[in-house]
Amino acid sequence: MERIPYWNIGYGLLIDLLSLPALAVFGYGIYGHWKRIRQGKASVKLGLTLDALKLGPLHIRSFLTRGIVGTRIYRKLCTGIAHGLLFWGMVLLSAGTILVFANVLFRLPVFKGEFNHWFMGAALDAAGVAALAGVVYLLIRRLFPPERLTCFRANSGFIQVEIGIIAIVVTGFFIEGARIAQNGADPGSFVGNWLGSMLSVGRGGLELHRYLWWTHGLLALATIAYIPFSPLVHLVLAPANAGLDVPVPGPKMGVIDFESFEGDGDETPSLGASKLADFSRKNLLDASTCLKCGRCHEVCPAAQTGKKLSPKGVMVTLAEYLQHGRMDDESLLEAISTDAIYSCTTCAACMEACPVSVNQPNAILQMRQHLLMERSEMPEIMGQANRSLEARHHPFIGTGFGPNDWRKGIDVPFYEKGTTEYLLWIGCSVAYEERTQSIARAMVAILKHAGVSFGILEENRCTGDPAKQMGNEFLFTEIAGQNIEEFNDLGVTKVITMCPHCFNSFTRHYPLLGAKFDVVPHAVLLRGLIEAGKITLTNSGQAICYHDPCYLGRHNQVLSEPRSVVSSVGQLVEMPRHGCESFCCGAGGGNYWTEEEGTRINQTRAKEALDTGAKTIATACPFCMLMLTDGLKKFTEEQMVKDIAELVCSRMESGAQGVPQTLVST
Amino acid sequence: MHIIVLAKVVPDYEVPSADFELVGNRAHPRYTRMIGLYDENAIELGVQLKEKLGADLTVASYGLGDDVQFLRKALAMGADKVVLVEGTSDDPYVIAANLKEAIDRQGAVDLVLAGRQSSDMDRGVVPGVLAGMLDLPFVPQACGVESADGGWKIAQITETGKRLLKLSGTGVLSITSVPENVPRIPAVKAIFAAKKKPVEKLAEIGTGKMNVSELSVAIPKVESNCELIPAEDMDEAVRVLLRRLKEERYL
Ligand SMILES: Cc1cc2nc3c(=O)[nH]c(=O)nc-3n(C[C@H](O)[C@H](O)[C@H](O)COP(=O)(O)OP(=O)(O)OC[C@H]3O[C@@H](n4cnc5c(N)ncnc54)[C@H](O)[C@@H]3O)c2cc1C
Ligand code: SF4
Ligand code: SF4
Repeated sequence: MERIPYWNIGYGLLIDLLSLPALAVFGYGIYGHWKRIRQGKASVKLGLTLDALKLGPLHIRSFLTRGIVGTRIYRKLCTGIAHGLLFWGMVLLSAGTILVFANVLFRLPVFKGEFNHWFMGAALDAAGVAALAGVVYLLIRRLFPPERLTCFRANSGFIQVEIGIIAIVVTGFFIEGARIAQNGADPGSFVGNWLGSMLSVGRGGLELHRYLWWTHGLLALATIAYIPFSPLVHLVLAPANAGLDVPVPGPKMGVIDFESFEGDGDETPSLGASKLADFSRKNLLDASTCLKCGRCHEVCPAAQTGKKLSPKGVMVTLAEYLQHGRMDDESLLEAISTDAIYSCTTCAACMEACPVSVNQPNAILQMRQHLLMERSEMPEIMGQANRSLEARHHPFIGTGFGPNDWRKGIDVPFYEKGTTEYLLWIGCSVAYEERTQSIARAMVAILKHAGVSFGILEENRCTGDPAKQMGNEFLFTEIAGQNIEEFNDLGVTKVITMCPHCFNSFTRHYPLLGAKFDVVPHAVLLRGLIEAGKITLTNSGQAICYHDPCYLGRHNQVLSEPRSVVSSVGQLVEMPRHGCESFCCGAGGGNYWTEEEGTRINQTRAKEALDTGAKTIATACPFCMLMLTDGLKKFTEEQMVKDIAELVCSRMESGAQGVPQTLVST
Repeated sequence: MHIIVLAKVVPDYEVPSADFELVGNRAHPRYTRMIGLYDENAIELGVQLKEKLGADLTVASYGLGDDVQFLRKALAMGADKVVLVEGTSDDPYVIAANLKEAIDRQGAVDLVLAGRQSSDMDRGVVPGVLAGMLDLPFVPQACGVESADGGWKIAQITETGKRLLKLSGTGVLSITSVPENVPRIPAVKAIFAAKKKPVEKLAEIGTGKMNVSELSVAIPKVESNCELIPAEDMDEAVRVLLRRLKEERYL
């Protein structure tokens, strides 16, 4: 017979009425979150022109993919599948419940024919089984948790809600079974029919059914009301956080406008963040959304090598302060610790791993800005690098080289207004260290060979990016201003970079300060030259392992170009962690100038590269080159690290014109 | 209370030796300019005294008009004012006489701090000459100063140890570096505040020179010839090393 909703239940409509107070409590709880988050500042403008589809501030694509579908969670396959089964199972079951409501209220004919058979019967039973399997897996994992879940603080509350969900699903099945035991089999309801065949008919069965029905209904409503007060609130916050995240990788720091400091008023805003009230709403939403899953902790180069920093730890601390309303409590910085704040390499591995789109380095860097610009507190060597950058326009303290030593003995053209096409940007990282100078020389040789119209600046200086990453936004703004002025005077419109940090700074931050020029990283340019047949290479066929620089790969998605360059001179091999999930060399965030605590990050990464068995380790960043070269010294005396430009130069068919090979190879 | 710190703007004192060149017996003008190394220690000490004693802190300098931009760093570190006598002489007597002129205009002065030596000339003469001109006691190689009933308690660092001195009244001290006077990095607000602090420029006064003239300046080129001695067998390596050192007449 056709299923009768609320069969055997007197006053079943009470459940529909009770759903109203449950929803009210739910709404009140969500409002509480909003009230806390609202205390943050408006986010800084990033000035990026994205052609992303938007609904108000919400980015539709990331809202749907990272937010609703939860694409990131599948990076851990078992957890991902369990979570998927539970989530989509519950979505279907909720849809089924709503259809039952609709049937009661509007007589929607859901209990008829094929739809009843396949959806209300089979699909919903399958959904129940899926949800149950998923939640049981997750519960077991909570009971025997991996370290990432418990470090700093475990998310208490998940166990309760998981038991609650199990109870809801199991009672659901038994109600179905009890009903079927009385009324006969339902088409398609394979679980219900099976349970029904085992349950007794008669008074006891009817009472059991009634009893279970109310338990199930009330438990479900209680759970809905409890969502905002439990870790389940991520059902709401995670999609919101994903949608509100500007879909550009990296910490997205924007720039600071120092205009207001020029005036007479003493009311200058405090720089960076020393307390919760200084953070943006997005930062506070991040802290509220964080699930304490520790995926970021597992991939963080600092956390994994014994530094004080853990991105999860930072988020946990922020969330605790927010929970307790400590908006103006400046003990926050001590709670997180200066050491931790300065150990972040800004590699963004944490962001890449986070299933709920948290931007950890953004919060960390704001605290760093405060320490540096308001309190002048920074580790000693970073302090020296900062002073050098300020006085000498480069941070390479104690360098044995002058700004032009890298081009001694070779003829490098200067950029000429109106005639030169590309500015070959030298910056600091290929000028002041002997090992990296040959990257610049190789690049010059390649560009000459390929007949590219290029020139360099007569005086080379840093982009200012190291200052920015160390938290000295002010110095960055000054240096960038000078560079932009010089570029404008020279009419520079196209720039080639050899350092991904320069590339990132030029493309993300310079435009906000008024720059208007196109930038091409040397990896992209080299691939273009090879594809256009401007340079022909001989392939050695030897294995070459490629290390992704964070600021080229993860931050700017330049992944295939350097690989294609490597493949044209040898046989590309990958490390276990590569592409967007690459592991930092340790130099980012100004940590090239630091005294590392614990294991050295560069040694960890160098070992990973060495273990691939390749005899050459290629990279496309001078800082990575220096760090890996140094890290490798622990394991071998061989010089195995090469920049892609060096590799290309050494395998160019007719050799490097005008540049003696000795200057190029190392 | 009024404290004066002497600060000189000099060419980058950390230019790598391979990149260093002289023009007319002086560092090539292409190098960036900055306040001298020990002068920054003196400024830091001055700022600490200012903070402790509520003193006024004036930075006095003799040098190029364009160097004000670098002297602003002293203001950002905490000094209240800069007095710059514009001139180009390298003669210690001329410099000291002009600095005296600048100091005399500041009214009552309770203490004058200088760096132990400028980072370009590396002579350490100016503070002593100036003390003579001001008719004040001179204490070189000081590293710490405290106010003590009407005068100053001074720690002087020597090669072998530390000496505590008591100075009654005003004096000129030249300051050497110790961890306690590592120059602070100015906070951004202080940098902006420094832009509004007063800078007084004075014209040079003509005065006689020291009877010392510079005949020549030579900067030896640092050359490194590296010879690797195999170190598989330590005893053998030591023997080879000794023989080589003797052959080259280093021993
Ligand atoms: C590590 C080290 C080892 C040394 N070893 C030796 C050694 O073995 N043998 C040896 O003979 N010497 C040695 N010296 C050098 C010796 O100490 C110096 O000669 C002397 O102390 C400094 O002389 P100066 O004339 O350069 O200083 P000055 O030029 O007189 O400057 C001293 C200070 O006076 C003030 N001043 C000077 N000019 C101006 C100006 N225009 N405006 C404002 N203020 C100004 C500044 O505060 C400056 O710091 C060594 C120095 C160092 C650092
Ligand atoms: S950006 Fe990198 S170093 Fe910084 S917290 Fe994230 S993973 Fe760790
Ligand atoms: S920030 Fe993201 S990855 Fe890190 S613990 Fe929180 S939810 Fe997990």
